Amino acid sequence: MMGPSITAYLILAAALFTTGAVGVLVRRSPLIILLSLEIMLNGANLALIAFSRYHGELDGHDCQGEDLAVAASEVVVGLGLIVAMSRRRLDLDVDRLTTLRG
Amino acid sequence: MVAAAWICLFAPLAAAAAITLAGNRLSRPGAGYVATASVGAAFVAALVAFASLLGRDGEQRDVSSTAWTWLSAGNLDFELSILVDPLSVLMMLIVTGVGALIVGYSIGYMDGEDEERRFFAYMALFVFSMLLLVQSGNFLMLLAGWGLVGLSSYLLIGFHQERPSAIAAAKKAFIMNAFGDATMVLALFLLVQQAGTLDYGGTFAQAEELASNGWVVNLIALGLLGGAVAKSAQLPLQTWLPDAMEGPTPVSALIHAATMVTAGVFLLVRTAPLFEVAPRIQDLAAGLGAATLLLAGLIALVQTDIKRVIAYSTMSQIGYMFLGAGLGAYANGMFHLMTHAFFKALLFLAAGIVIHALVGEQDIRKMGGLRRLMPRTWLAFLVGGLALAGMPPLSGFFSKDSILASALASGTYGQILLAAGLVGAFLTGLYTFRMIFIVFGGAPSEHVREHLHLHGRKEGPFWMTATVAVLAVLAVVGGGVQIAGVWHPLADFLRTSAEPLVEPSVAQDLITSAIAVALGLAGIAVAWWTYAVKRISPPRPSAARLTLERKFYFDEAYDLLFYRPAVMLARAWGNWIERPLIFGSISGLSAGTRGLARGVSDTQTGFLRTYALAIAGGVAILALVFVSVRA
Repeated sequence: MMGPSITAYLILAAALFTTGAVGVLVRRSPLIILLSLEIMLNGANLALIAFSRYHGELDGHDCQGEDLAVAASEVVVGLGLIVAMSRRRLDLDVDRLTTLRG
Repeated sequence: MVAAAWICLFAPLAAAAAITLAGNRLSRPGAGYVATASVGAAFVAALVAFASLLGRDGEQRDVSSTAWTWLSAGNLDFELSILVDPLSVLMMLIVTGVGALIVGYSIGYMDGEDEERRFFAYMALFVFSMLLLVQSGNFLMLLAGWGLVGLSSYLLIGFHQERPSAIAAAKKAFIMNAFGDATMVLALFLLVQQAGTLDYGGTFAQAEELASNGWVVNLIALGLLGGAVAKSAQLPLQTWLPDAMEGPTPVSALIHAATMVTAGVFLLVRTAPLFEVAPRIQDLAAGLGAATLLLAGLIALVQTDIKRVIAYSTMSQIGYMFLGAGLGAYANGMFHLMTHAFFKALLFLAAGIVIHALVGEQDIRKMGGLRRLMPRTWLAFLVGGLALAGMPPLSGFFSKDSILASALASGTYGQILLAAGLVGAFLTGLYTFRMIFIVFGGAPSEHVREHLHLHGRKEGPFWMTATVAVLAVLAVVGGGVQIAGVWHPLADFLRTSAEPLVEPSVAQDLITSAIAVALGLAGIAVAWWTYAVKRISPPRPSAARLTLERKFYFDEAYDLLFYRPAVMLARAWGNWIERPLIFGSISGLSAGTRGLARGVSDTQTGFLRTYALAIAGGVAILALVFVSVRA
């Protein structure tokens, strides 16, 4: 059962993570930021599973399962926030949410 | 006897506490009755102590009693103890006897005044403080009484606390007295160091050993003298006393007649063994007394406030007492202290009746012709004035002339001081009768006709006239306690407390009496000619007069010497040290913190991406660190 080498998986994972991170940093729509976060998580998950297979152990799978649960909960909360924002007729633009400015 | 002495000491304190705690539950005159009763009870207790002391032999008239040990440190024990001996019993009788009359008088004088209760609580506290001072069995309790007298005089002088001048006078009295307290404390430190005890008996027994070290004993005596001079308003700490006239008239009487200012004389006599081994300091005390009696007599000549005239006469008379006690004529000094308490209280309280009748007016220039309107007050004033001027057979004659005779018997130095005392006798007659002729002589002045406020035929409320009458009788007969050449029971009584250093012969007594009475009469005659016959109205400015009215510029000199430099120094420290260093460092610290906070808060942009980037950057750095450390 040979597939591509672990390097290829890791490069793909890094690419996914970077894409997500850049998305989080540069996009303004909270919906897209949530999507980007999911991409980052999936990059991490891919890396976990790749390591798991490489070492022939199941630890990475365990971690990835927990990650999925965390990601799902995070989406619930995040989407809930976005719905609440639009109900209040706030702009869906994170650059306008600057209450924390010192 | 010991129990009586303790009752005497604590009765006034109990009254002060009761009046304070009872508050509104006690009526205003009620407070006066409580205070008077307590001081009266103290007087009765003092009489009991006196009687039982008389029942003992001369050598055993020296009883001390200790309530408890207050402080114990190493070999030093400070006890709350009282000493009952002829000297303290005499002072107890004077303080409580005259004090009770004055407090009783206040019931009439303060009637209708706001805060009578506070007044009477203070009066009782004052009497207690003075009793503690005279009854103390060691120097530490003496110091406690000394300080308490200063405190209660501060409270009473500043009784009219709505008047800025009263507050200023109270502060002045307190600060001057605190200076004296400080020199006394220094003397006590030296005593503890050198003698190892503060008991009267213990220290006096070591007086001879202390004397072997000349400068120590001189310093101790000088420190004690500093306290005496401040409390008794002698040169150079005399300036608080005339200002103390801001207090109500009974307070002036209490401070000037029965208590407080006599404390210095008492101290000179009480600590006589220490002063005797420091003869130069004792001479200094006598010299200061002579200088003060002259100076105060001169200033009294130009005062226009009736109470201030009497105040300066007090300073002058205390000067006589210092003169006597400083020359070692202890019994004569104490004798004058006693008669002075009678006639000075009489003068003050009679002046109080006049002020009361004129609705608070104290300026003698606005008075006149009161003799026909207030004949009994005039009589009381006349008795007091004649006693003050030392006219026979009133009390002041016997006591003052016994001091002058002692001065004559004390060698060259004493005779120089005698000259001052004789000039003082002339001045006393002059200023006393200047006041009496101006206030009572002639036709009623316009002010008197408009403002005189008498209750029918009575010249004052019962309590005021009755107490003045008692004092008038005492001022007349008080001198009979001791008559030179006839008998001298007072001197014999006090002999066990303080053995006199000089005992004038009868001939010397007669000579000084004759001269002093002649000079006093001359003074009265000049006053009569100037103020009764020619009715010269007081104000006539000239350089000499201005100097006198400015009280020899003592206040100005102290202002220039102590107050201004102190203020300038304080201002310099404030400007050059406190503001840049202390204030500057604190405000610099706060400004720096604030600037830093502002800088840090700039990083809080509120943009989500900034935080995300910061987290990502932080994680990246951490990852780098971990990787590089492992490698």
